[in-house]
Amino acid sequence: MTTDTDQDHPCLPGGLIPLDQWKSPETSVHKTVRAGFQDILEQLRSSITPEGRAFEKLDNLPALSAAKLKKFAPEPSAEELANALNQQLEVFRQDGHHNRPVNFLVAPPFSGVPQALVAMKRRVIMPPDNLLMSEQEVSGWWDEQLAGDDWVLPELADFWLRHRSGLSLLKEFFARVALDNAGEGVVGCSSWCWQFWIQYLPELHTGPVTLTCLTGDRLTQWLDYLASGKSGRHLTARMTHDGLYVLPARSKDSKDKYSSFAQDLANVARGNRGVAHAIWQRALRAKPEEDAEQEGAEDTPANGPKCWVAPLDQLSLPSVPHSSGRQCGHILHALLLHNGVSRAQLELVTGIPGQEISLTLARLTRAELINQDAQISRYQVTPLGYPAARKYLQARGYPVDGF
Amino acid sequence: MGDFGLKDALSSITSTAILEAIAVVVAASLLILVIQKLVPAVASKLSGKPRLYLLALVPLLRLLIIILTIVMVVPILVEPSFENMLAIFGALGLALGFAFKDYANSLIAGIVTLYEMPYRPGDWIEVNGYYGEVRSIGTRAAEIVTLDDTVIVIPHGLLWDTLLANGNDGTDNLMCVAELYLDPNHDVARLRSLFRDVIYTCPLTRTYQPVIVAVSANDRGMEYRLKAYPLEPKDQIRFISDLTARATEVCREEGVRILSWPPLPS
Repeated sequence: MTTDTDQDHPCLPGGLIPLDQWKSPETSVHKTVRAGFQDILEQLRSSITPEGRAFEKLDNLPALSAAKLKKFAPEPSAEELANALNQQLEVFRQDGHHNRPVNFLVAPPFSGVPQALVAMKRRVIMPPDNLLMSEQEVSGWWDEQLAGDDWVLPELADFWLRHRSGLSLLKEFFARVALDNAGEGVVGCSSWCWQFWIQYLPELHTGPVTLTCLTGDRLTQWLDYLASGKSGRHLTARMTHDGLYVLPARSKDSKDKYSSFAQDLANVARGNRGVAHAIWQRALRAKPEEDAEQEGAEDTPANGPKCWVAPLDQLSLPSVPHSSGRQCGHILHALLLHNGVSRAQLELVTGIPGQEISLTLARLTRAELINQDAQISRYQVTPLGYPAARKYLQARGYPVDGF
Repeated sequence: MGDFGLKDALSSITSTAILEAIAVVVAASLLILVIQKLVPAVASKLSGKPRLYLLALVPLLRLLIIILTIVMVVPILVEPSFENMLAIFGALGLALGFAFKDYANSLIAGIVTLYEMPYRPGDWIEVNGYYGEVRSIGTRAAEIVTLDDTVIVIPHGLLWDTLLANGNDGTDNLMCVAELYLDPNHDVARLRSLFRDVIYTCPLTRTYQPVIVAVSANDRGMEYRLKAYPLEPKDQIRFISDLTARATEVCREEGVRILSWPPLPS
């Protein structure tokens, strides 16, 4: 189902909604039960196989070239998302849904919100080098940063460490926000960081908003929009095994048979645009299986770019390696809570000795669950590894985000 | 009718019937053995609720197999008429009642255990001063494994007259308490706030469950109780140790003396 907002902001399908209205994509009981059994089997399998699997392509079909991939599934534009977010926030203000000077935008990892906030042409507040400031130092630092209005804080998760001495910055910040004493600004916050802080400060009420969950239809619209770019030429994407259509988005008078791929992808990604986009990139193929091209060929538009999509069960996503200890869980959880941290910071927040951290980081990197940003030497969870990491943490009792 | 008709009921038993009945009982025993080994082994590979559900299945499946075995064996041995059934179960009841009173007591309590579920496999219970995780629930007794890895066998019969404390009651939520006794001369509000931070920043804490720092004054000093839930019940020792270590560090930084009991000579 598409709405007016989808037409106005194709880069932000569904627009913004209050955080408490967010719902994961609807799925059938059959699929939920199947997913539950698959999770159990996955847990059993991971304890039998010695190492977690990295991403695997289970078919022999050729992947798209880098140039075509960039053309058919380009990275979303931060500037366009920034414009859409600005307009949506303005609508919220005008409607009277939000009348506080500071707007909180809570989004799951890989949503692209921090990059969009940086592109908003406002004064960007960056985290200090030392996150373990004393209470006195913190007060002076915020006085300086919040001196004028019209600021933007791209990612709140960068401003704290889960350590006794690493909470001061955000405690002071939230205290100022609660008193409307922080000027006017926009704050981006990872859903994992947010979850921690609303549990730590249960009386915190800031009226956060979030991006609407990508359902199958919205995901199709968004992928179609990304692929068509400025040229306006729609990409035709069909399944490699049965020739059913995935793109372009179904029009009202379309008689083509469409695959449930987009719906399944939305479910696997739990409506997370970054995760869905990463899997989509890995699913694109240059050629179909034999016969698939013939099926429905008479309906194929004569012009326009064309590519093929491998079924989701032909893609094996990374899984968390089996471990009898808590190292993998602690590290993955810390990386998600802080939107990525350095090795030294990991030592501080998990309490795991440095050598053990190095060994576990190496295992998780080999499994493609995490990668290291060479520029800032921070480790972070990969979009492809995120679904497995989240399930792993949830199954082991860790506090997970609401997305 | 001095023998309750038992003689008549058993008169028709043939050697073939006995062999057949033994075969059924052996098959049932083997099946129970496999279930008791296999299901906990599979459950140990899982975490969270699936593990608890699988463990809880074991005694229920065993009870089901025992009932089915009885239903199958009795008609093999005797004609299943009302009189014969009355004779068989009457005699069985008498034998159990007199010869194996305590055993029967535990057997019945074992059935009650499956119905009332005062403890299930995976629960952390304390009975008569023994604390541990219920590893298995047998027909007569339950086995718990203490934190020192000692197996304790608890007859179900104890259920009738013994207080039983269940820490997690079929869930994976187990509250843990780290206790500290401190010298009274300090800022209580500040220390409570710091201890709260200690709990929230411990990586083993379930932050979505209640976190409480209770304080009271008694003749040993100021008693602080840091109450929170670990990620999983099996983490309890590490969790309490971690909280205690972190809280001790706070006391050291704040210059608050931790008290020992009995007091150390000054």
